Amino acid sequence: MLKKPNLFKRIFMICCGPGKHQLLRVSLFCIFLSLLAGSVLLLLLGKNPFEAYRSILQGAGILPKTRYAGKKSQLTDFMSLLNYTTPMIFAALSVAVALKSGIFNICVSGIMVFSGFIATILVGYSSLAPIIAKPLVVLIGVVAGGLIGVLIGYLRHRFNMNEVVVAIMLNYIISYVVSFFIQTRFVDPITRQSVEVGQNARLTLFDYPIMNLKMEINLVFPLALITVFLIRYFITRTRFGFELQAVGLNSKASNYAGINVGKTVITTMLISGSLAGLAGVSYYLGSNASIQPRVLPALGFDSIAVALLGNTSAIGSFFASLLVMIFDSGTTYMSSRMQVLREIAALITSILLLFSAIGIFFRALANRYAREVEEV
Amino acid sequence: MDSIIIEGIAFSIPLFIIAIGGIYSEGSGVINLALEGLLGFGAFAGGLSYALLSSVITGNPLLLIYASLAFAMVGGALLASLHALMCIKFKANQVISGVVINMLSVALTAFLANQINASVFGQPSNKFLLEIFPKVTVPLLSKIPILGALFTDLYTFVPIIVVIALIMAYILYKTPFGMHIRACGDNPHAVAAAGGNVMKIRFISVLVSGALAGLGGMCFAYSISTTFSPNIYMGFGYLAIAAYIFGSWKISRTFLACILFGFARSAGYVLVQKLELPSSYGDLVLTLPYIVTLVLLLFFSSKTKAPRALGDVYE
Amino acid sequence: MDTLVEFRHITKRFPGIVANNDISLSIQKGEILAILGENGAGKSTLMSMLFGMQIPDEGDILIRGKKEHISSPLVANDLNIGMVHQHFMLVENQSITENIIMGIEPKKRYFGLFPYVDIQSSKEKVRELSKQYQLEVDPESIIEDIPVSTRQRVEILKMLYRNAEILIFDEPTAVLTPQEIESLLGIIKNLRDSGKTIILITHKLDEIKKIADRCAILCKGKMVGVFDVASTTTQEMSALMVGREVSLTLSSTEHKRGTEVLRVEGLSVETNEHIRKVDKVSFTLHRGEVLSIAGVAGNGQVEIADAIAGLLPVKEGAIFLAGKDISGCTVRERIESGVAYIPEDRQSVGLILDFPLRENLCLKQYYQDPYSNSRGVLQKQEMESLAKQLISTYDIRSGSGVNTLARSMSGGNQQKAIIAREINLQADLLIFVQPTRGLDVGAIETIHKKIDELRAQGKAILLISLELDEIMELADSILVLYNGKVQTIKQASEMTKLEVGEYMMGVHVEKA
Repeated sequence: MLKKPNLFKRIFMICCGPGKHQLLRVSLFCIFLSLLAGSVLLLLLGKNPFEAYRSILQGAGILPKTRYAGKKSQLTDFMSLLNYTTPMIFAALSVAVALKSGIFNICVSGIMVFSGFIATILVGYSSLAPIIAKPLVVLIGVVAGGLIGVLIGYLRHRFNMNEVVVAIMLNYIISYVVSFFIQTRFVDPITRQSVEVGQNARLTLFDYPIMNLKMEINLVFPLALITVFLIRYFITRTRFGFELQAVGLNSKASNYAGINVGKTVITTMLISGSLAGLAGVSYYLGSNASIQPRVLPALGFDSIAVALLGNTSAIGSFFASLLVMIFDSGTTYMSSRMQVLREIAALITSILLLFSAIGIFFRALANRYAREVEEV
Repeated sequence: MDSIIIEGIAFSIPLFIIAIGGIYSEGSGVINLALEGLLGFGAFAGGLSYALLSSVITGNPLLLIYASLAFAMVGGALLASLHALMCIKFKANQVISGVVINMLSVALTAFLANQINASVFGQPSNKFLLEIFPKVTVPLLSKIPILGALFTDLYTFVPIIVVIALIMAYILYKTPFGMHIRACGDNPHAVAAAGGNVMKIRFISVLVSGALAGLGGMCFAYSISTTFSPNIYMGFGYLAIAAYIFGSWKISRTFLACILFGFARSAGYVLVQKLELPSSYGDLVLTLPYIVTLVLLLFFSSKTKAPRALGDVYE
Repeated sequence: MDTLVEFRHITKRFPGIVANNDISLSIQKGEILAILGENGAGKSTLMSMLFGMQIPDEGDILIRGKKEHISSPLVANDLNIGMVHQHFMLVENQSITENIIMGIEPKKRYFGLFPYVDIQSSKEKVRELSKQYQLEVDPESIIEDIPVSTRQRVEILKMLYRNAEILIFDEPTAVLTPQEIESLLGIIKNLRDSGKTIILITHKLDEIKKIADRCAILCKGKMVGVFDVASTTTQEMSALMVGREVSLTLSSTEHKRGTEVLRVEGLSVETNEHIRKVDKVSFTLHRGEVLSIAGVAGNGQVEIADAIAGLLPVKEGAIFLAGKDISGCTVRERIESGVAYIPEDRQSVGLILDFPLRENLCLKQYYQDPYSNSRGVLQKQEMESLAKQLISTYDIRSGSGVNTLARSMSGGNQQKAIIAREINLQADLLIFVQPTRGLDVGAIETIHKKIDELRAQGKAILLISLELDEIMELADSILVLYNGKVQTIKQASEMTKLEVGEYMMGVHVEKA
């Protein structure tokens, strides 16, 4: 009975045991494990994992490459990373906010397509001046996304429908209906996607000349950053944040305490939907410029696990988004330099998300060990 | 009319077996949003086995095809074991585990298909080519007016799946083990008190759901595109979920839901053709099952009863 | 008599506590042995080791003189040990027969090949058993359609079907009416007379007095001793159980009835599934009065409380608080106009278990000044000082003060926290539902004193309880509910416990 914990257990306890920053340490431990798993995979393919990870960081603009093409530098790579990360930040926040009040928003993909499509046809093909068109796109994203969010919240509250099931249905309904309109009205005959939106409406500036460099500048990235802090403040410090968390942890008790659960759920979904809408416009009218019919963006599903990796906190979601997108955007460079298939990045990312899904288990296990040690 | 029935059956039946997989998993209390990933991985395993075995088994294409179905089931079960491990052993949130398994399945199959095509077959591709699944026309029955279409140009996987579905229904509703599965979905503690091993029962149920989803996925790969490719992830797994929710987690009603979905789909396509509309109108047809399920839930959500212990972690 | 079961120096630890500490006990064939102790004394743990749900850390269990390693309920089964758990272990969407035969289903084969469960012959066997032991059930009923007392009979049949010789009952009377308890005790006696050995886990002394032969008393995980019931008084037993003397009755203060606080007129309530649970109930409640609603569980008491608090909608009738009709108000409006509510389910309704104590103690006031400012920003320091004050006033014990998660607190302290929060609302009406369920004697005493104190302060108290003793002790007037209808409302002094029990069973329905 009175056993001294072995070395493995002790290391595990340091990583995941109770105490300061436990959530953060567990997340880091999960990241470490998946990098380890990725390394094994790379070794099996006969590649040097350190070299591979380094080139991913180089590709994403975190580390300098040895050579750059004309008008490119580490800064342009980094700006490009931020450009692709922006929709993920919004999407992960969307999931995190909903999850805080106990709702699985797996409709992020569908909402992205919906808001992206609405903004595309209303503004994307118009000839409005950039100064009007761009804010309008953002606004449409918020409104269109919010609408779907409210719909899900309402159906859940009023008809007691499971939001996961509703979201699955809505995802496909939106996907097929949008696909129908694109293919009948807005299709580009060559790419088989929707016709590209005009530069005026686009939220990302491509090849923007600064300091003799050609940069990608995502105009809504600052908005994403502000939103992260706003959401954090909103959840932890405000009255509504209190209600949102109370409902998420125990809706029966919240109702008993006089909190209007229906209003809270619907408001939460309004926010979550708006954030997903922002993800949609910054994706389809930002980092991309057209919509592929019948395809739900994988980013919308990835965001669920990203939010989880970030412990459903706003700040955590931000860093988790950044991490996942570093893998995503650094891979092209790595695969060309190391002669590894591009697909390995997605694989390592899903392993990472797999581990983050069992992070709760690691925490519980570590807490159990801790109690055993205490008794001894 | 005939083509509505022929196409409808060819779609409904694989969907049905995937949905039965969902009923097994959820009936035992484990939420299974991973069906999409499981069917895709099953199809990948089947496609891979077909590609690898085609040089070994020569001169007997039927054996090759049936072997690939078996491997698809093994593949589906293999990935399902990960879902079971996550949900049952590691007590991960079952919804999240399902979503992650789907992502992993897409990523893993894309990576492996490319890697294997490149290093084993020496060609860059993310597909495995298959053969057309054999079809039969039953001599006498196919002559019956209207219903004869049920026995015309029938994929031979249809009778196979029907037999398997009957066996699965028999196991779930008639055998002690099936009773225990359903009891686990209602009150796992009762099963434990009666000496049942809840974790084992749930584990097996999830494995079964993987095997059945893999089988269904492979049949889709054969019937829809005669290849394995990443296009297999078209949302049929989610459609199967809609089907068993529509069928209140009961095999008989789920069968009707699958038939309804399949025929609505084929009838819609035929209609689009007959009215000489552009093929994109097919997309509207594809929304039908989802809208129907949503509306059904809207009116009957209080009456459709999910297993009582669905999603509960058992310790 | 032969020794059937013997525990030798059993010790069982759980993280943080020693549930059983060096316990030795032997049980004779054909006796009724009661195991007495407070909540958390280790009674259930000891028995769950006999039933194979836990494995002892140290010590041996001998059955019929042979050392056995009981690693699972299946092993217990083979040793002819059966157990009726406190929470019934029944599959609700299956039939009584299916539940009884689970795990040892008789099989037949289709075409001599494919096995299937032989329901038909099982039904017959269940029917026979139920006749033999006078445990009436319909083998074909589905569990979700049958009442609690029948479910308990199903659990007993489950053991008998497995030829159990040693029958363990874990707090079997907690969910029953006095009449049902009588009948259950009769059944248990019958079982002993037909040669079974019975172990009865309980904390009710009168039951032990009525049927048990011997009584083992546990206190804080240790065995105090085994006593012959006939020669030990209840006072002695209760003193041994808690380790100190307890005043079993409360010295009630003089009853002064003030102005009307609550008037309920013709109230009907339906559940969310449109089942009518409360049917045209009327009563009034005054300052300084404790009105108790008695009734068998599930007869509509909780729905009345929920309707007053606003958790369930009023179908018909009206609820007046200080003369004002509140039946259309929101939950929050009712709280603000003076309704405090200690709900039945403290863990899933009364508290948010994953919130710290600070937030839980502020759960109904967080939005008001000074806990939130006018712009909707929370003032954590204010919340904290409120929490600290309540913690010290009400002696709420917790691991790390205001930051303790409610989940990690003991049941008694959770209940104290809820009561502290509700009293702090300064409401005129306090509704208590099952305020002492599952608490130990000490905590019960504290809560009963508190209720008495509140009454003396002139509060109006609606007490809903399933414990008749509690009602008889505290109530000024008693309303008995049966099937959602009022059977009678009388002064507590005008009724005996037995009469209340009769009303609860609906015996007086025809007369009324």
